[in-house]
Amino acid sequence: MTAPAVARDARVRRFALTDSLFHALTRAAAILVLLLLGGVAVSLFLGAWPALSHFGPAFLVTESWNPVREKFGALAPIYGTLVTSAIAILIAVPIGIGIAIFLTELCPRPLRRPIGMAVELLAGIPSIIYGIWGLFVFAPFMQTVVQPFVIGLFHDVPGLSALFAGPPYGIGILTSGLILAIMVLPFISSITRDVFDTVPAMLKESAYGIGCTTWEVTRRVVIPYTRVGIMGGVMLGLGRALGETMAVTFVIGNAHRIHASLFAPGTTISASIANEFTEAVGDLYTSSLVALGLILFVITFLILAAARLMLLRTGHKAGA
Amino acid sequence: MTQMMSPASIAASRPATEDVKLEVRKLDFFYDRTRALKDISLSLPAKSVTAFIGPSGCGKSTLLRVFNRIYELYPKQRAKGEVLLDGRDILDRSQDLNLLRAQIGMVFQKPTPFPMSIYENIAFGIRLYEKLPRSEIDGRVEQALRRSALWAEVKDKLNASGLSLSGGQQQRLCIARTVAVKPEVILLDEPASALDPLSTAKIEELIDELKADYTIVIVTHNMQQAARVSSRTAFMYLGELIEFGDTEQIFTSPQDKRTQDYITGRFG
Repeated sequence: MTAPAVARDARVRRFALTDSLFHALTRAAAILVLLLLGGVAVSLFLGAWPALSHFGPAFLVTESWNPVREKFGALAPIYGTLVTSAIAILIAVPIGIGIAIFLTELCPRPLRRPIGMAVELLAGIPSIIYGIWGLFVFAPFMQTVVQPFVIGLFHDVPGLSALFAGPPYGIGILTSGLILAIMVLPFISSITRDVFDTVPAMLKESAYGIGCTTWEVTRRVVIPYTRVGIMGGVMLGLGRALGETMAVTFVIGNAHRIHASLFAPGTTISASIANEFTEAVGDLYTSSLVALGLILFVITFLILAAARLMLLRTGHKAGA
Repeated sequence: MTQMMSPASIAASRPATEDVKLEVRKLDFFYDRTRALKDISLSLPAKSVTAFIGPSGCGKSTLLRVFNRIYELYPKQRAKGEVLLDGRDILDRSQDLNLLRAQIGMVFQKPTPFPMSIYENIAFGIRLYEKLPRSEIDGRVEQALRRSALWAEVKDKLNASGLSLSGGQQQRLCIARTVAVKPEVILLDEPASALDPLSTAKIEELIDELKADYTIVIVTHNMQQAARVSSRTAFMYLGELIEFGDTEQIFTSPQDKRTQDYITGRFG
């Protein structure tokens, strides 16, 4: 073989080697994630097993949470977690999409960056700050202004009067939901804005070109085109709301009770765990808290899975 | 400009009996500070096809985008001068933009079906301006799809997504969508540039049929296409209208040296 050919062979071999090394490294990184996920799930399950085997499926539907008599049920924290997150999403999604529409379609150019940055800065505020702000500023405001007004407004409307009943504590489910809404808003609006920016200019022009208004273009073209991305942003926000601990612990009231009124104090899974871990004496108590963690893990997983499924279905229907 | 075609001589080259649908008078266009159109004046006869040709960046698409004022979606773009649609200045501030765009439809370089079903792609535009019972909308959708020679291919899958069609079908869907709104003028911005020759041929046939009812303006890079579909051709270069006249005359005996150079392929 000639010298150049030998050199080329060596180079080819080296390429093959680095390539397979690279291949192995990336695969290892991917497997690591699966291992971590599996490890977390398994250790959660093992930790939760004493409580789950002791209480059985009733753990999920029992409201009482009594450390003294060692009788634990997860219903109140599950209820609180789901309801506060639902309130947060209900409020944050329309506002977040509204912000995104304004920033991408209507906002005068010089204002775009400042407003966009302000919204993103909201995401940078540590949750403890939302917590103390919620407890010292927002909750008193709810207690003295908002709640008395709403209670007065709805006190003889059937249904609503039960939903907004009660002494105005300030803290409670609704206050937590509102704080969570503020916290997830930047996620939803910045992701929505980013996906709105991906809509091809020509597609928007053709909608404007048949005489659509900005509203019609947004509702019929931009939002359907970016549906998957918007859902992604909402899911991310929901994930954050479900798991948020600190801010919620401050303002939810930490009561293991389910009350029809949104003004009543309650608790969430993460708030219960954070609040009670230090004082959890006895294996059953600790194990019950870990079981709560496992439930949160499963809820988050199910919601993400449901979102995927939903996206798949709507994707098939419209083909977008 | 060499004053080859002064506005007066253009007017003189039009038979007086012919209806003028769109008339451009002393139009300038600016992208920020760049002057992209320079003192353009021309009149487009009703119910015929006019082609704008010229090398990239000559301003032909820009001129097209003035006609439905789509450029106004972008800040820093502005037009100066007059564009008369049936004698009324559409650049006037009082002109309602949505109404204008319903009167002057546009089809783009790439097919842009909306993210909805084939049926909805067409019904959507109709519903914007007319409140009609379902059965009448059905009829209009069918009519628009027939006009754009797409009905036979899609009549069994009207509820499928517009995005499931092939590129050529999508472009015909976009033309159907434009036609369905019942515009008076249709602007085509290189409508076949992203299509294969067969789909292109279909689009051209379609243009030929549509010109009986609509005033059509087409921007194209393809000179054979301009020669095939248009009855008048305007040659633009560096933001100026160099020559405007009957297509046959432009392609067989161009008056200006630059037109001749371009159509013989010496540049562009």
